[in-house]
Order: sequence, then structure tokens, then C-alpha cells
Amino acid sequence: MICLNKNVIRSITVIAVFFCLVWLIGLGWAVGEYYAGKPENIPQTNTVSDKVENKKGLTIVALGDSLTRGTGDETGKGYVGVLIDEIKEKTKRPVQLTNLGINGQTSTQLSKQVQQTEIGRQIEKADMVLVTIGGNDLFRGGQGLADFETGDVAAIEKKYLDNLKFILEEIRKNNRNANVFFIGLYNPFIDLDQGKEMSKVVRHWNYDSAEVSAAFPKIVFVPTFDLFELKVNDYLYSDKFHPNTKGYRLIAERVASLLTW
Amino acid sequence: MNKLIQNEMMKLIAKKRLIVIALIIGVLVTLFTYAQYKQVQTQREKLGTSDWRTILQQQIIDTTNRLSSSRMQDEWKKQLQISLKQQQYYLDHDINPAEPGAPTFMRIFLENSIDLFLPLMVMVIASDLVSSEHSLGSIKLLLTRPIKRWKVLLSKYITLCLAVSLVVAITGILSYLISGIVFGFKGWGAPILTGFNVTETGLNTSEVKLLSLWKFLLMDFGLVWFVSIVVGTLSFMLSVLIRSTAAGMGVMLAALISGAILTNMVSSWETAKYLFMVNLRLTDYMKGTAPPIEGMNLSFSIMILFVWWAAALFVSFFVFTKKDVY
Repeated sequence: MICLNKNVIRSITVIAVFFCLVWLIGLGWAVGEYYAGKPENIPQTNTVSDKVENKKGLTIVALGDSLTRGTGDETGKGYVGVLIDEIKEKTKRPVQLTNLGINGQTSTQLSKQVQQTEIGRQIEKADMVLVTIGGNDLFRGGQGLADFETGDVAAIEKKYLDNLKFILEEIRKNNRNANVFFIGLYNPFIDLDQGKEMSKVVRHWNYDSAEVSAAFPKIVFVPTFDLFELKVNDYLYSDKFHPNTKGYRLIAERVASLLTW
Repeated sequence: MNKLIQNEMMKLIAKKRLIVIALIIGVLVTLFTYAQYKQVQTQREKLGTSDWRTILQQQIIDTTNRLSSSRMQDEWKKQLQISLKQQQYYLDHDINPAEPGAPTFMRIFLENSIDLFLPLMVMVIASDLVSSEHSLGSIKLLLTRPIKRWKVLLSKYITLCLAVSLVVAITGILSYLISGIVFGFKGWGAPILTGFNVTETGLNTSEVKLLSLWKFLLMDFGLVWFVSIVVGTLSFMLSVLIRSTAAGMGVMLAALISGAILTNMVSSWETAKYLFMVNLRLTDYMKGTAPPIEGMNLSFSIMILFVWWAAALFVSFFVFTKKDVY
């Protein structure tokens, strides 16, 4: 055996005993706190802190449904991703994207989402806001095709328009300067039996959406109906509802052509 | 008794096990620090910002989208929903769940090493404490002295407890010092939430408490220490029962690894919650994630571990005092 200094061993032992006690206290505290500790009232914050940061580049916020998310695009970018790539190339500036799109989101859900403090803060920081909404209200994931009656649609549309107005108001309230691009609907069912009637509803829907957007400054309604009017199946994903990579490229190019610097 | 412990301590230090363990921990912490640093960087590059609120908001949206996918296991879905609600709670209260700095790194490191890594380190010390005396033949020298056998074993056990405390301390100190170089040494006072209750309906936030990170860390350390002691005692028992150190280590290793696997798939086998290795992740209760089996909570897990600990201790002493030595 190696001869060790007695004092070294003694001091290591003392240190070990000390830590043993510390950890024991920690354990006791953990159990105590887990059961006995009273809940505190933790204040919710509604104030928006540190506004100005990362002002070197462009900040873009995308709100909406699966189109914003890019569902159906094999590359996963969606129109937002393609658009961002184009902006990066053109401006040579760093772009910060916050994609807040949620699959299947309806206008009712989005109107709740925009009321969240953090979402508001994100919108406030933005130089540009992109919105897609309404597709799930009208088509309900393809269901709308089966039980589509004009009377029903009118009620749905009214609710949607109210929500839309509210959403755009919220965006404008948080950010008065950013350009907002609101992407209109296309008709994925145009080639089907009831395609013509459906197109009529979509056109009407888009017209009313554009009317609501026009009431606000710097909110641009971007039509996409015509993009998908001919050869719709070339631009749709295999679910025959979401656009595919080519379809998203069409939408992105249309938005890109509207940008001003 | 004091002399005996000193003697055991000397043997332990002479074996240089603690130094080996410190080296292993040091290397691993360095690796994790680097990995974490890289992760933060890629995230920053991807999102183009270092603002934690933006990152957290993006995570919330991503989780929401994953939840909307229909092909997902129910359990996994539930866990995601819980973490989603927790993240939203942090965001609503403007608290960064991962305040950058060495203390946060320590917390994450502890949470991840509690069920496998630290028990393994403890095992390295504990599993040959008695059996090595057999293989070296020194057990006869030890037992022919006019000292009661249980005293010999007790001195060994106390040494084990002290060594475990040291290993936990070394983990804390090394992870703080090494990660601090990269992430900075500040952040002890950062707020952290605890007291999330996972119930059948989801996450209950009515009893959430705000703690300083140092308090939270001390509690985490206490739990980690407790788990290490229990695992150490079990290896100690095996070391008494099985003469071969390698065999004892093998059994313990199998138990620990099976525990790590089982926690991911036992939710339908309810009685598995009485196994010690499913109950090792005590720090998860503090953080508020869904337990592997419904109905498990901190006191339940501590009770189970305590029972295993007591049984192991009893068996060790019983066998050691009765066994023939040849």
C-alpha cells in the first residue's frame, strides 16, 4: 500500500462529511418544499420589455394555418421559406423569420393566438407580416365539399370576416408600420364535380376578405385564386388540398413581386 | 470505529478511484458543454436571434404542430401537451426556463445524469468494496482482528456514503467550473418554477412556486445524492453477496440499463412502478414532467427507493455476519 499522509485522509473525510450533510439538507428541503411550500402568486406580465434588438436585419412574422407552415412541400419550406430565400438573395441582409403558423388553424383560433402577449411582441418587432387564414374555416379540411350549402357558408363567412377584422386590428394595434400581406384562398376542388359552385363561393370569400383588408392601411390582399385556376392538380400535394413545392413557389413569387424596399 | 473508517478511507483513496471518476466526469462535462454550445449556436443561426422569448415561442408553435399530427402515441402526446403547457406558462410569466449560465447547465446535467451516469460512477466505487477483499485475500486479515464483523461492514458502508457524497460534490464542482468557462459563472439567482402537478387531465399549474435557481439546485443535489446512495447500497449488497466484482457490476449494470429502457415503455405495466430502477428520475418531479407510470409522485418514488435501500442494507449485514469465510 502507498503510504498516505494521515492529515490528507482526515481532511478528505471531513470534506466528505460536510458534503454529506449539505446534500442531506438539500434532500430534506426538496421533500419539504414539494409538499409544504405554499403556492405563490406569480404575476403575469403584460408589459412588453426590450423592444429594440437585432435591428440589423429584417424581421418577418408569419401567422396562419398549414399554408404558412408549408404542409405539402417536400422541401418543408412552404411559401414563407421560398419567399425568405428570395428576400435574402435580393437584399443581402440577414432575415429573421418567426413562423407562427399552426396546422389546421381556423380564424377563431388565430384571433385567440394574436391576443397572446408574446405573439403581440413578435408582431411589434416585425418589419413585415404574412398571414394565411380562412382555408380551414371554409373547407374544414375537405369536409366543406360534402356538406356545402350556400346558407351554411354565409353563416361561416360572417363569423370568419368578424374574426379577420379582429385579427387585422390586433396586428395594426401592435405594429402600425409593417406591411401586412394577407394571402387569399385558391380553390383546390376546382377540377371536381362541384368545382364551379365552389369557385363561386371562394371568389366571393376572397372579395369580402379583400374588402376587410382594404379598410386598414398597408394591408395588402394577395390573390392566389388565379394561380391555381388552370391545371390545379399540377400544383397540389397528394392530399389534393395543400399546394406542393411548385404551388408554394407560385404563391411566394406572387408575394415577392409585391415587395417594395 | 473512527480508526476503521479512516482505514477504509485510506484504502479508497489509495485505489485512486475518486480521481478516475473525477476524470471521467470532467471529460463528459467538457463534451456536454461543447455539445450544448453548438446546439445554442445552430439554434441561433436557424432562428436568426438569441432572444429566448422568440426561441421559446417558436418551440411552442413547433410542438403544437407536432401535436396536430394524428399518428402519434397517446402517451407521447400527453407528455408533449404537458411540456407545451409548461412552456406557455413560462412564457406568460416572462421567465426564461433556461437562463444561460453555468448553474442552468448544472441543472440540466444533473437531471440527465441522475438515472444512469451518476449511478454508474457510484457503482464503480461500491461494487468492489467488499468483493475485492475476497479476491485480494485481505478479508481474512480484516476479520481475524478482534472487531465485530458488523463493525467492519459498517465502516465500509459509511465510507461508501462519504465517497458518494464526494462524487456528487465533484460532479457539481466540475460541471460548474467547466461549463462556466463557456456560459459564464453567473445565474444563481435566476428564477425557476416548480410545483407543476401532473394529473390525469393534464398539467395543473395552480400550485406553481417561484424559486431561485440556487435553491432549486440544492434540492436537485439532495435528490441526486439520495438516488446515488440507494444505488450505491444495492451495489454494496451485491458486492457482499457475489464474490466476483465483475459479476456484481454486471448485475447492477443490467438493472440500471433496463431501468432506463423500462421508463420509456412501462406505462401499461403498472406493477413495474415498484422496481427501484423506474423510480430513479426524482428530479423530474421537481421539474414537473409526466411520470413513467401514472400515479407515481415524489413521495412514492422516495418510499420505494427507501424500501429497497433498507432491504439491501439488511441483507448485506445479515449475510456478512453469518457467512463463512474461507
